[in-house]
Amino acid sequence: MFRILILFLIFFTLGSCSSPEGTWGWYVIDPSTKAGWTNIKFLAGGFYSTILLSIIAAFLSIFIGLVVALPAMSDNKLLKLFNRVYVEFIRSIPLLPMLFWVFYGLPVILKSMGIDANIDAFWGAIITLAISDSAFTAEIYRAGIQSISKGQTEAAKTIGLNYYQTMRYVIMPQALRRILPPLANQFIYIVKMSAFASVIGMQELTRRANEIVVTEYRPLEIYTLLIFEYLILVLLISFGVRYLEKKLGSNESATS
Amino acid sequence: MQLRTRSCFKYCHAVKLKRAKRKISHRGGYKLENTFAVEIQGLTKSFKDFKALDTIDLNIKHGEKVVICGPSGSGKSTLIRCINGLEDFDEGKISISGNSQNPTKESFVSDFHIGMVFQQFNLFPHLSVIENLKLGPVKSLGLSEKDAETRARKLLERVKIPEQALKKPNQLSGGQQQRVAIARALCMEPKLMLFDEPTSALDPEMISEVLEVIVDLAREGMTMVVVTHEMGFAKKVADRIIFMDGGSIVEQNSPGMFFKKPQTARCKKFLKQILHH
Repeated sequence: MFRILILFLIFFTLGSCSSPEGTWGWYVIDPSTKAGWTNIKFLAGGFYSTILLSIIAAFLSIFIGLVVALPAMSDNKLLKLFNRVYVEFIRSIPLLPMLFWVFYGLPVILKSMGIDANIDAFWGAIITLAISDSAFTAEIYRAGIQSISKGQTEAAKTIGLNYYQTMRYVIMPQALRRILPPLANQFIYIVKMSAFASVIGMQELTRRANEIVVTEYRPLEIYTLLIFEYLILVLLISFGVRYLEKKLGSNESATS
Repeated sequence: MQLRTRSCFKYCHAVKLKRAKRKISHRGGYKLENTFAVEIQGLTKSFKDFKALDTIDLNIKHGEKVVICGPSGSGKSTLIRCINGLEDFDEGKISISGNSQNPTKESFVSDFHIGMVFQQFNLFPHLSVIENLKLGPVKSLGLSEKDAETRARKLLERVKIPEQALKKPNQLSGGQQQRVAIARALCMEPKLMLFDEPTSALDPEMISEVLEVIVDLAREGMTMVVVTHEMGFAKKVADRIIFMDGGSIVEQNSPGMFFKKPQTARCKKFLKQILHH
């Protein structure tokens, strides 16, 4: 993390050497000038929306993913079919068209149903991200749960546990350790995909960067900063997940 | 020990009588001999083209110890997995303790609970030994933590590993793990115990410690169905030995007769292979 910050500083100092007419013009985001500092504050202000958006969407996706994944493990063919159709359909839709559909299309449907609900950019983005990601989380859950041997379920049955208890006390605690790393991957994916929310006017990192680029016309510096902003977010998630994994790992090193 | 065993037996007998009497008053003229622990009629099951069980008829009395042996793929495991409902079957009827309703997935916990011990132990690796034992009683029988703890401790003593209570299963030897698995099954206070090759996954020097526990259990009057190739064990505890091949019961007899005078050629061949190697 520190190395990356140092790298960033090198870029910065290198850039400030050159004139505004040269390759780099860091003055747009130079914290020592008043204008630069205002720009930085404006850009960094996007963190709030991006983080909030990602966290809510991730939680929703984790929840929807579980609801979609559990039917896949049942013996009922209809439930299995529901899982397959949902996963195949949702994961085949590119994020951007889906975002447009939810933001511009869904209100029309709601209106025809008599609900006069305006979907704002924030919730439109959350719904889109959560649903499109849930297809992937569902597959992660399925893989994790199915990797636990069938003997565990059978043993749980013979001591009288019902389906919910088996999942809650036997399968999930074991599956969680295997699910966590790919789930973290999905979370990182959500953070990055939240950039798409800028096209429907959501004031997050990318949108703010675009706005400054339009007024200052220094795309190189601002988009470089933008990349580093995402880098910081993703690194933070990575550290958090490492920590969680360690904590879980020490608790149940016994997974044989 | 002798005294305890006997009093336990007496108690079991009393309970059985009581139950029989209740049945008499209920249905009128129901005899004790008629209440089998397990009653199987015409049990048939196929896996796609392969016939795993072919019209099996089998009655097991209360307190009877039945050992099932036979070559692999003969349907032994499938049979006992049908008894406790881990496996569905195509045709036939299974009654547990006169209760003709099939023990399907929903009725795993009944008055007449069936305990099961697996070849691969199937302990829960993320829980400690004592938590493995307590899980069933607390969650499905609704016992309090404290009662379950006492019960679990008692059973750990019975399988002779009280000092391992707080360890995780993979810190134990195979023999110890299987004994924990037996204790876990007993924690539900079953009336019938099924053993599915309980010693097949163990190192040779650990087999006897597990068999000892099962023998003790047999002496206390538990109804048991054991799938095993341990013929010495079968001789010692079995009331009846069943030889299965190709999904049907080929031969059944008391242990004495079974080993001395096997009736069928297939059984003779099997015994020859298993006893002289």
